[in-house]
Amino acid sequence: MAFSSYLDGKRRDCAELVAELRKRFSYVSVLGTDVRAAAYRADRMSSAAQDAPGECGFVVKMHDGRSFFEYSLDDISGDKKEIADRIASAVETDPRLRGRMISAGVLKDEPLKEDFVRETDFDSFSDAQLLGICRELSAELCAADEKVRNAICGIQPYVVSKLFVSENRELSQFYGWANGFLVALYQDGKMVAARQIEGSDSMKEIIRNLRGSTGKVIDLARHLVTAKPIEPGVYDIITDSSITGLIAHEAFGHGVEMDQFVKDRALGKNCMGQYVASPITNMHDGAAAAHSVASYFFDDDGVLAHDTQIIKDGILVAGLSDRDSAAQLGTEPTGNGRRDNYRRKAYSRMTNTFFCPGTDKLEDMIASVKHGYMLFETNNGMEDPKNWQIQCTAEYGIEIVDGKLTDNYVSPVVMSGYVPDLLKSISMISDGFEVIGAGMCGKGYKEWVRVSDGGPNLKARVKLG
Amino acid sequence: MNDIIELLKADPSVSAWRVTEKATVSYELFFVHRDLETVRATDTAETQVTVYVDHDGKRGDSTFTVYRSMNEADIAAKIENAAARAKLVFNEPYELPGAGTLEAALPTNMADADPKRLAADIADAVYAADDQPGGSINALEIFLYRDTVRVLNSSGVDKTQTTHRVMIEAIPTFTDDKESVELYEDHRFTSFDPAKVTAEIAEKMREVRDRHEAKKPQTPMKINVVLRPKETQRLLADLARDLNYGVAYSHANLHEIGDDLQKDCTGDRITLTMRGIVEGSERSAYFDDDGMTLTDICIIKDGKAAARYGSSRFGQYLGIEKPSGDLRCTEVAPGTLSETELASAPYLECASMSGLQVDLYNDYIGGEIRLAYYYDGEKTVPVTGITMSGRLSAVLSGLRLSETAEVSGAYLGPVKLLMPDMEIL
Repeated sequence: MAFSSYLDGKRRDCAELVAELRKRFSYVSVLGTDVRAAAYRADRMSSAAQDAPGECGFVVKMHDGRSFFEYSLDDISGDKKEIADRIASAVETDPRLRGRMISAGVLKDEPLKEDFVRETDFDSFSDAQLLGICRELSAELCAADEKVRNAICGIQPYVVSKLFVSENRELSQFYGWANGFLVALYQDGKMVAARQIEGSDSMKEIIRNLRGSTGKVIDLARHLVTAKPIEPGVYDIITDSSITGLIAHEAFGHGVEMDQFVKDRALGKNCMGQYVASPITNMHDGAAAAHSVASYFFDDDGVLAHDTQIIKDGILVAGLSDRDSAAQLGTEPTGNGRRDNYRRKAYSRMTNTFFCPGTDKLEDMIASVKHGYMLFETNNGMEDPKNWQIQCTAEYGIEIVDGKLTDNYVSPVVMSGYVPDLLKSISMISDGFEVIGAGMCGKGYKEWVRVSDGGPNLKARVKLG
Repeated sequence: MNDIIELLKADPSVSAWRVTEKATVSYELFFVHRDLETVRATDTAETQVTVYVDHDGKRGDSTFTVYRSMNEADIAAKIENAAARAKLVFNEPYELPGAGTLEAALPTNMADADPKRLAADIADAVYAADDQPGGSINALEIFLYRDTVRVLNSSGVDKTQTTHRVMIEAIPTFTDDKESVELYEDHRFTSFDPAKVTAEIAEKMREVRDRHEAKKPQTPMKINVVLRPKETQRLLADLARDLNYGVAYSHANLHEIGDDLQKDCTGDRITLTMRGIVEGSERSAYFDDDGMTLTDICIIKDGKAAARYGSSRFGQYLGIEKPSGDLRCTEVAPGTLSETELASAPYLECASMSGLQVDLYNDYIGGEIRLAYYYDGEKTVPVTGITMSGRLSAVLSGLRLSETAEVSGAYLGPVKLLMPDMEIL
C-alpha cells in the first residue's frame, strides 16, 4: 500500500489550477484527498466485508486579501481556465453582502516540498483473514456464556492519502489507522452491552489485543448486569485514561479551539496566562504530540503537525488554530485545521489531546478515597466553551469505599459541572499514561473528525448523576 | 451510471446489484458576528455499488464506492473484488425490493431560488432578530443543499428524489460588562419562511438573555420536568429504535410486540407512528437506501409495542410480509396536558441541555441543563447549573403529553412532554 497513484497523477493539475486562480486571488491552495476504508464485521447471525465510507476529491481554498472562499469538486481534470471560471462564479455573493466581508491578514505561503509516509501492515492481511478473525471472536464471545444474546466483532482499517499544493508548497502524506471492537450483548435479568475498543496502525497489534480481550468483555458484562443507578451527588472520583481524555477533550480541548476565539465564543480567549486548573495539571494537543489516530504530518491547510502545550502547571498558555483563525487573530497556525472531508470547511479542531502524567501511584490514589467512584470508558461528552459547563458520560463506575474498589458497579454515570471547578479539584495524577485512538469528535453536532485523547489517572471531585 | 450497470451485468459471479448515486450541490456562508468570513460552494457526487452473490444456499453482499476519478478498469476491478468479498459472507437469503420507478421532489418553495440571493435573504432574516440591547449573534453558518438521490437495482428499481434543505447554525449571545453567555442552536427547514426564521431566532435571543439572568436554584429537589420537541424526539427515538427489524434480528432489542412500554401508566399513553414524510422535515423521503417505497406504520399504540419497522432485508428475516422500509420520521399523537393543567403545579421546563442522555438498558434518563425555566406555582424564573436524572421506566409510566403539536427535525408531535418527579442536583 502506498500514496494514492490517482493523487500522484494530479500534482500538475493542482499546480496549474493554483496558477490560474492566482490571477484572481492573492492566495490559492488545493487539497486533494483519497481516503480508502474497509469494514469487516461478524455477529451470531450475519457478517460483512465491504468498503467503509471514504472520500476522493478536491477542495480549492482562496483568499482575496480580505475574506476566504472555498470550492469542493470531484475532479480537476480539463481546461483550468474553465474550471477557474466555474469556481470564481460559484463563490460569488449576493450584492447585499459584498460590503460585509471581513478583512483578514494575508496568508503565508512559505516554500516547502516534502512527501511523508508512515507504513502500515494492513496489506499483510487478506479480506478472508480479517473476516475470519471477526467470526472467530464473535463465536468465542457467544460460546463463553449462555447469557450472551449476541456478540459483535468488527475491524475497520483506513488509509489516508492527501496532497496539498499552493504556489510555494507541495506536500503529500500517506498513513493509516485501524480500529477494532468487541461488543457482547448480555442478558441476565437486565440487558447490557459490554465493549472493548482498540486502535493502532498495526493490524497485528489490534488482532492480538482483541484476542486477548474476550475474557475481559465477558467479565465486564457479568458485572454490568449488577450495576445500579448512581445516587446523584458530589463525589471524589478516580478516572481511567479514557475518562481523563474525555475531560481534557471537553473541558479545555474545545475551549481553546481558536476559531471560537475569533467569534468570541470561547471564554478561554480572555483567560490566557491565568490559572484554570490545579497547579499539578499539564495538558497537550497535537498531531505530533502523540502517536495515535490523529497523528497526521500536515493538516488540511498544509500546516505541519505541532505539539501544543495548552495548560502548563495549571495555567492556560496556548490555543489550537487553523490557518484562517490564525490569520484573523494575528497568531501562528498550530496545525489544527481539519475537515470532516473534502466537501466540508476546515475548522480549528483537536487531534491527540491528553493530560500529562504525574507522580502518584494509582493504588495510592484509590486508597486516598473514603467514598467515591472510579469511572471507566467514555460514552459521550458535550462542550460549552463560552460558559465552561461540561457534561461527560462514562459507561460505568465502580464504587470505592474506605480506599478500596468494591464489586459495586454503577451505570451509566453522567458527570457535569463547571470546568474550572472540576480542573481545580484535581488533587492527584498518576504516573501511568495511555492515549486511546478510537474517538470521533463533532463541532456542535456536525463536522466529525477522528481524534484520540487520554492521559494518566486523575483524582478529582465532581457532580455525578 | 450506465457504464457501471453494464459492467455489473457482464460479471457472471454477480447475482444481483444495487447502485445508489448521490449528488449534492451546496452554497454556504460563514459569518463572524455580522461580517462574512467565508463563502463556500460544492458540487460533488459519489456512487455506491452493492454486489450480491448467491452461494452455498446463502447470500453475500459487499458495497464499494465509485468516485468520478475512477476509470472503467478501476470499476471492473472493484466489482471483481466486491464479488470475492461477497463470497466470504454467508447471510440468510433475502430478496431486493421489486420493480418500481419514481422521479419526485420533496415539497419546497426553494427549488427555483437563486442560492446566492436565498442565502442573503436567510442571513437578513436571522439578523433581523438581532435587535436587543446586549444581544448579538456571534456566529452564523448557513448551508443550502440540493440533494439528488437515485437508486437502481437488478430487480427493476429506478427511483430518484430531490431534496432542498437548509441548515442554519446561529449562536445567540448576551453580553454585559460582567459576563457573556451563549446558546448553541441549529435550525433546519425545507421551505423558507423569513418571518418564521426571525421569530425562532428572536425566541433564542430572549432565552440567551434569560441564561445570563439565570441562577442555580436550591438543590437537590424533586420536581416535574418539561421537555421540548428536540429532547422529546431524542427520548422517543430510542424507544422506536428498539422496535427496528435489524435490532430485533440481532437480539439487541428489549421489547417484544405486545409489551407494555408504560407499565402501571398514570399519564398519557404514547402512540407513535414511523413516517416516510413529515412536512417540513429534511429527513422526509419517498424511499429508503434500498429503493424500497416507504410505508407509514404505527409501532407503539396506546403505550404498547404494536409493530416493528425497518429495512426490507431485516423485515424478511423476521418473516414480515410487507416490510415498511427504513422510515426516518416519527409522529407522536398529542396527549391531554393543557397549559392550564401544566400551570397547576410547579415544574422545570428545559430550554437548553448539553444532550439528553437516554439509556434503555440501564433504565436511565438524565443530563445537564444549561437553561431551564422554573415555575414555582406563581412565577417563572430562569435557572442554570443543574443536572437532572431519573428512571426511564418511571418517566414512561407517568409522562404527560401536551395537546398541541409541532414539527421539529424528524419529529411531529406534542410541543411539551412532562416527566414527573425528576431528581435535580
